[in-house]
Amino acid sequence: MDRKNFIEKFAEALEIEEMADLQEATEFRSLEEWDSLAYLNIIAMLDEEYDIQIENAAFKQLRTLGDIIGYIENNQ
Amino acid sequence: MRESEGMTEAFNPFTLSGKKIIVTGASSGIGRQCAIDCSKMGATVILLARNEERMRETFSHLYGSDHQIIVADLTVFDAIPSMVETIVSRVGKIDGLVNCAGISTTLPLKLMTTTKLDEFFRTNVYSAVELSKEVSKKKNMNEGGSIVFLSSVMGVVGESGKSLYGMTKGALLSAARSLACEFAKRRIRFNCVSPGAILTPINEHLPHMIDPEKRQQLEEKHLLGLGSPEDVAYACIYLLSGASKWVTGQNLIVDGGYTVR
Repeated sequence: MDRKNFIEKFAEALEIEEMADLQEATEFRSLEEWDSLAYLNIIAMLDEEYDIQIENAAFKQLRTLGDIIGYIENNQ
Repeated sequence: MRESEGMTEAFNPFTLSGKKIIVTGASSGIGRQCAIDCSKMGATVILLARNEERMRETFSHLYGSDHQIIVADLTVFDAIPSMVETIVSRVGKIDGLVNCAGISTTLPLKLMTTTKLDEFFRTNVYSAVELSKEVSKKKNMNEGGSIVFLSSVMGVVGESGKSLYGMTKGALLSAARSLACEFAKRRIRFNCVSPGAILTPINEHLPHMIDPEKRQQLEEKHLLGLGSPEDVAYACIYLLSGASKWVTGQNLIVDGGYTVR
């Protein structure tokens, strides 16, 4: 999959303007924009854009943006 | 212009100088007055309404320059994102939004239909929510922005035949409270202004205003008599200004005492 495109979609969902701050190694829970609503926005984005329905327990295992990408790749 | 410059130099916590404010329903009544008074307080005002001719009349009463007119039907929800993009590209990020556009009716329950419910919710609630959703995005609104919904005393208390109108106004009160929670992080505030009966050019010929007996009854219900559009506009100015920076999720009732007894 297009990794750069995923990071753009992630940024859009959280309204993060500084794309340079986002790398595959970024731990998304430490982002200033991350909160419970941001989580809902990402879940909705994964469903809409990648047809991925992810359980809360599974999502909890993911730490970095690269982890989310890996999850998408393994479940598509 | 010199006079207004002097005004902003004096102590004025309610100034809107330098702020860009969108006012919907700007072609008449409360929306028109709100737009005019915001411009007098120094704001750059973006007028939004369906009727271009009447909006141009509002425009001709504005103080200062750089104001904008956008002709739009806010119930065409799909057109809202590109419209907001156009506004921001013309004037820059927005600081305030006053949702004045709305419709009113007196309708007994027997005559209520889901078609009517749809019409009123689309115009009074969905349009304000959709526009706020777009305007409040980080790319469109400055931190510290303020969004005001025009609710009504009918969102708080009841009156025969006002269930449909009151439901839509109550919905805005609820929306403002939760949106206040959601956006506090970005210092964006959501509040409502709830007017009592206001005498406007549109309603002065309606049955409840023109019939002397009904008019008197209505006036008696308002301890201070009927209101004027300025009374509501001034409340909006307060909520748009830095003077209310610690006020969010609230309903400012401006009703000449209608709801106190």
